[in-house]
Amino acid sequence: MNQASSVTPPPTRMSSSPLKETAISIIWLLCALFAVVTVFFILLYLVWDGLPLFNEYGLWPFLAGVTWSPTFDPPAFGILPLIVGTLLVTAGSMVVAVPLSIATAIYLSEVAPYRVKVLVKPAVELLAGIPSVVYGFFGLIVLVEWLRVTFDAPSGESMLAGSILLGIMALPTIISVSEDAINSVPREFREGSLALGATRWQTIRQVVVPAALSGITAAIILGMGRAIGETMAVLMVTGNAAIIPSPITNVLSPVRTLTGTLGIEMGEVAIGSLHYHALFALATVLLVITLIVNLGASMILKRLNARATGRAHAGRTVLESIFRHPATSAAPIALVALLVVAVIGSMGGPYYAGAALLVVAVLALVVPRLSRARSQQLAFLLIYAAVGAVLLILAIILFDIISKGLPALSWEFLTSSPRDLGREGGIFPAIVGTLCLVAGSIAFALPFGVGAAIYLVEYQRDNRLTRTIRTGVDLLNGTPSIVFGLFGFAFLVLFLGFGVSMLAGQITLGLMVLPTIIRTTEEALKNVPQSLREGSLALGATRWQTIGRVVLPPAAPGIITGMILSIGRAAGETAPILFTAVVFSQRYLPSSVFDPVMALPYHLFILTTNVPGSETNKYGTALVLIMLVVAIYAVAIVVRNRYHTTMRL
Amino acid sequence: MSSNHPQITIAMLATAIVLIGALLVAGCTGTGGTATPTPTAAPTTLTTTAPTTAAGTQVTTTGTTVAPTVTATTAGSTYIPGASTGKISVTGSTTVLPIAQKLAERFMELNKNADVQISGGGSGVGVQSAGEKTAEIGMSSRELKDAEKTKYAGLKAVPMARDGIVVIVHPSNAITTISLEQIKNIYTGKAVNWKDVGSKAQPIVVIGRDSASGTREFFTEKILGKNATTASMLEKNSNGAVKSSISPNPGAIGYVGLGYIDNSVKALNLSVNGTEVQPTTENVVKGTYPLARNLYYVTNGDATGLAKDFIDFTLSPEGQKIVEEEGFVSITRTA
Repeated sequence: MNQASSVTPPPTRMSSSPLKETAISIIWLLCALFAVVTVFFILLYLVWDGLPLFNEYGLWPFLAGVTWSPTFDPPAFGILPLIVGTLLVTAGSMVVAVPLSIATAIYLSEVAPYRVKVLVKPAVELLAGIPSVVYGFFGLIVLVEWLRVTFDAPSGESMLAGSILLGIMALPTIISVSEDAINSVPREFREGSLALGATRWQTIRQVVVPAALSGITAAIILGMGRAIGETMAVLMVTGNAAIIPSPITNVLSPVRTLTGTLGIEMGEVAIGSLHYHALFALATVLLVITLIVNLGASMILKRLNARATGRAHAGRTVLESIFRHPATSAAPIALVALLVVAVIGSMGGPYYAGAALLVVAVLALVVPRLSRARSQQLAFLLIYAAVGAVLLILAIILFDIISKGLPALSWEFLTSSPRDLGREGGIFPAIVGTLCLVAGSIAFALPFGVGAAIYLVEYQRDNRLTRTIRTGVDLLNGTPSIVFGLFGFAFLVLFLGFGVSMLAGQITLGLMVLPTIIRTTEEALKNVPQSLREGSLALGATRWQTIGRVVLPPAAPGIITGMILSIGRAAGETAPILFTAVVFSQRYLPSSVFDPVMALPYHLFILTTNVPGSETNKYGTALVLIMLVVAIYAVAIVVRNRYHTTMRL
Repeated sequence: MSSNHPQITIAMLATAIVLIGALLVAGCTGTGGTATPTPTAAPTTLTTTAPTTAAGTQVTTTGTTVAPTVTATTAGSTYIPGASTGKISVTGSTTVLPIAQKLAERFMELNKNADVQISGGGSGVGVQSAGEKTAEIGMSSRELKDAEKTKYAGLKAVPMARDGIVVIVHPSNAITTISLEQIKNIYTGKAVNWKDVGSKAQPIVVIGRDSASGTREFFTEKILGKNATTASMLEKNSNGAVKSSISPNPGAIGYVGLGYIDNSVKALNLSVNGTEVQPTTENVVKGTYPLARNLYYVTNGDATGLAKDFIDFTLSPEGQKIVEEEGFVSITRTA
């Protein structure tokens, strides 16, 4: 499948001229290069606007300084606490998300009966449909307060709150990608293992999961990317104090992330000041961190692949069985266990730490010696608990929003303009604005995205150029949405003079969803069997004829799914449009793309943070936003289910 | 693969693209009509709301119903209602946004052919937009910075409202009065427990605004002077967020604008040189409340046309009445 069409000889021409074929392939190449050019342009633009800070303040004081007080005299622009904050919150979110999501993915793919599965899977996808402003809002009101009371802390606004919230937000990504990976493990592997007398759990742990490991790792990286780049939710719950927690394992300490700093300071800063340049320098650092995470992750991925394929298990010592036994997962588990012990220690003192250590040690000794049936029972119990936790989280969030938002919903609310700062009246212009932004962003991203994917899959599979393009797409995918917002503001709004306008917002959102479209289209194209292409080429069709008439049609449902997922993502985002496209109110609907628009996520953000007494309409807006996104996802799910079988052929 | 399957899926893809295109054209540009705002969408909106709100005077389908009220309330001001047309953009400080929004709603009721668009973003965005003339009016919760004045020589800041900054705590907190010195000790990290400032023993959770906020800058200048804020202060990006963090937290202290005070938080009296000053509109007007500041409209050069009309409306008695209704203090009011 991978060596693909580069080995297929150029076919004899029928109706299409070689010139036309070349022209078409160049168009796709340009589409693919667009992604790369965009990434480097964004990076360049950020560095360019950050440069004055490095010149005046110096690189080392910027990176290693421990004080961030940009408006103090003299100002201090040390971002070390922000970097540490970002890393801690992200690491914490993975501790929350990885066990829950892998367990859920295993449940969905290996354990759940079909009837339960068709209910649980959309529920998980629903989590992805909840916009980040809504998460932030929920986190601030419910989660933070719960943490404060539970741990008897002065304040619940902490690294832990950020980690939990980001962990929840990363769940759907990790679950759905891991589940796909597990599903694609060939049936024969399972049958072989079961036939040899292994239990279902043994099969899962030692055959299925290792075989799907590269996909699961990719899922975790994607989830991590989502966590690092998240802005709106995290800035509402972490407290934003620019300090390094002391001790570093004190999860109840407030922290401040790089994205949070951009989100709260970008709007108020005097443009052109040193502080302004500092924020761009900070955005550059954020981008570089995502770059390092992505590169590091792909290296890990390669190594794990090598490990998962070639290791047989023989007799081993107890110590070995702790670290090696499930060859690929014990080391991280041990690491997490130690972390948990450290965290418990920092929260409760040495006695608690000792007790926790004892529990971990007992578990490590006892678990490998359980009988096969017992260990399967234990494992399935844990899996059920994880799935239960995920569903419970969803239920709590949905119940909160639906119960409080339902009273606001009425025909008037959906069809009239807001009055009295949105406390009264409806959200009609915001609904229209969101639809316009989304439609424009897709119209912008779809041609580029599909074109790029066609080039990557059909014309070139693996050489230096495609690797560069793929890296560019990956980087674009890992780029935090607030960075797109920053770029859109500096380049489109100010430099190109679009002003705060629908067009600026559409392009910014379009850039943001471009990698999603490229990736899903690539997957859809790869799923089309190679034999179809060969058959078509053998009959004398040209490459473009083959693509247009043989490859694209069966790939269309996959492409549409990707498109719809992008629509959902674009509809719920606040950060990219915050500085580029939105107004709080408008008398008329926009009359051209150079007019600003109202948008649901922004409306919700302003109601939440700036309009006291808008309780009912706030929840109503949140509910409408969720319903809109969920409706869009529902269409995607229907398309996927309807064409799933025909896609695989 | 069945032979007609490709046609189905190609048709689907095509339909999806066409749908998007249609949406874009119909939804975004079509309904608005031409650039001059005489849109088809606005009447639709009004007629649908008319049945439910017919009793109120907020939404009316004709201009005549509103007219009597107008002449009554704006009599005597320099502002002449009904004559303004066109479209302006007002952008900037999120502190000023609620007032400007209410003003715009009323202004557009009075002037059926005017379109005033309000957006947030922050004081920096407001000043920049006015300077670059991407917006007719910028909103700012701070004075113009020297750098901004140098960059845009024509910038003018018009005070349009006054705001008092109120120190708030949880309602259960025993404290009722606090001195500027005590606030300073709390925000510099010298006082970390409520018993240090004469309340019941409990760790203090210090909450403030983000470092770019105009409110924070003002607070720092008035209270802390040259002293650095404690690094463990929780930073919030809006008045609303500060209040939401304090109302459930017994140990918290923070500061918000006058308009945000309600019974979910407790507003502290300030003790100034031994006298106790309540955070009220009256005291801000009298000048006895020390934490008061101006909010500004920023224009590049003198405002003209609709922008001038809107500023005049803001400064008219009716405009300033709306300022007070939103919990801020009128700029024209004197003690």
